Amino acid sequence: MSAALFQTTLYAALAICVAGLLWRISGWFRIRIGPDTQLITLSQRLGALFRGVVAALFGGRVVHFFGALVLDVLLQRRLYANAKLRWLGHLLIVAGFMLLLLMHALAAVVTVKLFPGYESTRAPHLFLRNLFGTMVVVGVALLLFGRWRSRRRTGLVSVRRPMAAAFLALLGFVMATGFLLEANKIASPQAFYRMARQSSGTADPTELKPLRAVWASEFGVAFDDLKEPIAAEVMAKGREMHEDDCASCHANPASAFVSYPVARALAPLAGRLDAADADTWLLYLHVLACFLGLATLPVTRFYHVLAAPVSLLVNGASPNRESSIAARASRRALAVDACVRCGICDAHCSVAPLARYLGNPYLLPSHKLIATGALADGCLLRSGHDGESRLVAEGAFLCTDCGRCTSQCPVGLDLADLWPAGRGDLVAAGLPAPAQRVQARPALAWAESLEPNSPSWQHGVADPDACYAPLSTDWLSFSRCVQCQTCTNVCPVVAHSTSPEQGVDLTPQKVMNLLRLGLRDLTLGSRMVWDCAICYQCQEHCPEGIRVADIMLELRALGMRRLGTVRSGSAPT
Amino acid sequence: MKYALFLGCKIPSQLPAYEASTRAVLEHLGVALVDLDFNCCGYPARNVSRDAFVVAAARNLALAERAGLDVVTPCTCCFGTLRHAIRFLGEDAALHSRVAQALAAEGLAWSGKTKVEHVLPVLARVIGVDALGAAVRAPRTGLRVAAQYGCHALRPSNVAGFDNPLAPTIFETLIGLTGATPVDWPRRLDCCGDPLHQANAPLSENITRAKISDALASGAEVMCTACPHCHLRFDGARADSPDPSIRTLLYTQLLGLAMGLPAKSLGL
Repeated sequence: MSAALFQTTLYAALAICVAGLLWRISGWFRIRIGPDTQLITLSQRLGALFRGVVAALFGGRVVHFFGALVLDVLLQRRLYANAKLRWLGHLLIVAGFMLLLLMHALAAVVTVKLFPGYESTRAPHLFLRNLFGTMVVVGVALLLFGRWRSRRRTGLVSVRRPMAAAFLALLGFVMATGFLLEANKIASPQAFYRMARQSSGTADPTELKPLRAVWASEFGVAFDDLKEPIAAEVMAKGREMHEDDCASCHANPASAFVSYPVARALAPLAGRLDAADADTWLLYLHVLACFLGLATLPVTRFYHVLAAPVSLLVNGASPNRESSIAARASRRALAVDACVRCGICDAHCSVAPLARYLGNPYLLPSHKLIATGALADGCLLRSGHDGESRLVAEGAFLCTDCGRCTSQCPVGLDLADLWPAGRGDLVAAGLPAPAQRVQARPALAWAESLEPNSPSWQHGVADPDACYAPLSTDWLSFSRCVQCQTCTNVCPVVAHSTSPEQGVDLTPQKVMNLLRLGLRDLTLGSRMVWDCAICYQCQEHCPEGIRVADIMLELRALGMRRLGTVRSGSAPT
Repeated sequence: MKYALFLGCKIPSQLPAYEASTRAVLEHLGVALVDLDFNCCGYPARNVSRDAFVVAAARNLALAERAGLDVVTPCTCCFGTLRHAIRFLGEDAALHSRVAQALAAEGLAWSGKTKVEHVLPVLARVIGVDALGAAVRAPRTGLRVAAQYGCHALRPSNVAGFDNPLAPTIFETLIGLTGATPVDWPRRLDCCGDPLHQANAPLSENITRAKISDALASGAEVMCTACPHCHLRFDGARADSPDPSIRTLLYTQLLGLAMGLPAKSLGL
């Protein structure tokens, strides 16, 4: 590979990488998540960062900071506590990758200092390179298996990650070309002659025959003209030549426990690979793929190598809950960035069964996190998928804030701080909780904007809502109402609604009456239905045994289904 | 005596003292508590889909059944929701089969064996007032306590099976056992206001305020709760407002103190 091409592509990749990283890191100080961060200025956020760094390094929590560095970042104790197999995979990848980077990619800088007289073809480097590469490959396999097993066990959908798949393919390509390149060099007669010219001063096949015999039988070079048995004295001569010219730089490649078997397998093709200049283009592919990985680092999964440790260190330095809103503003943006999409939060999510049954992935933390970020930087609303925004809102407002996602997150993200902030952003974006959305318009306006539904009182017509709301669609469950007003009289919502803006529109008994009249749609957007406290006073006291509160809940569920799909042209805001 | 402990969502994240005091008191009284991989009881989904709410609840019931345990919960709303799910599953065969199908995807099933109980009836009826009375070492004599029952413990009574819904006595009896004096207050069976906190905050405040004023006017020093929603609502009203407020104490804390357990083990 020409030095000019190498350097040009390396520096170009580095420049793209640094520019991308700067842009993404700037997001930590640009993106605002939560209404409480909207008025925080950039200088306040940078000030909080500066104070945080000073406090972390020179304050009383310096021990926590370094504790986080060792236990959380290097040893990944949070992942260990949660998923031992994936922890092992992660550690294998980190160790294998770092060692490859330092001892192989940066060998000229690092390895030469550690091993005087370093040659990539000497022991133990042949073995080590294969070991490190194998660690990465096995680690990736363990991670994928762990994730697949967890998803199968929980039945939850994964976040769609096209970039992650592309990155995995690129990583696989780098590993594959690395092993192939080494295997090709072992087997290649052309590489043998090139080296022989350098160290023995000749590339004459006849003159080199003893050496070739040794290298063919013991070093795996695939000469196609050494078919006949070699005499013992020729071998002895070859070993002598090897000791004189080669042994100082070349160990037996059999210790390259992946590349050597590959080389043996490639032996029949060695001549054709040489003719095609395979060692040149394999090197190009290998090196350029590495540079592509470097250049795309800020937008691939590789980015977590920076963001996740930063998040762990920041959390180690000071708990999120104790930090100022200016610091939390940045930490929320960082959290969206630092998520590694491992899905461990989803597996522990308290409302995961609801997500599964409702088919709404936005109940799950990993999906909700992405939506929260997309809402904050405007992507969610710009994308124009009204249905998707509704699903995001449904997910956000069904979250019970149980905090399990936060307690299990291997990156230590304070997700419980993000969810209320995200809900605030949804309200500000015109996607409030269902009750607030309903209360923005009178019940009659809602009823008029609904597509007509087949009413339950039409004889012989199956009610499409019957399966979701068996009580409020069944005449027998409310027809006994005698309008005695007992339900209204015991209702705390009726009793405590004093001002006109909080007032109930329909009393519980009127809701029952509308059902009796077959005017169910009139109740769906009613304040009474959505303000009901579900205290069951009405149901307990009803002299006719009508399940008033259960019916109220059904009407809300029907409202959620129907009010989301209003007639075109009359869509309420 | 052994139960699966169902904490729900609110207690671990926002009221860990309730978990600590429940464990301390029940374990002190010889009740073994088992932690299972429970999920949300399903209550929030009652607004969205009856099926989804019952599926969530039934998954918990199925987990307990697989472990061969009955469920005890310190949360009144979880108690009501799980009991409601049992009722709905019993009365709607089509719902039952849809839910069974959803559970089967996880290799779970519920045949109806699991019983769900709230902490208070377990204390009063399973452990029993005599055993409780004998365990009291440090009676809280003279403390005037208002019992906050919580809606879903009492109503609908054919689901909850907790006590007489119009004139319950179980909470006052339990308070009396600790040596404290239960206060009679007119609004003791009313809603705490918490369910409306998100939907209609001013209305929720009105309801909570009315209860606090009533308890104070009736001479109570402490509002005793047995539900994280009620408890946090009264604590929240105290934090938000300059109006007169009332000290809150979880029943498990009151009992723990009376049994002489260290305050720290009760989250105090």
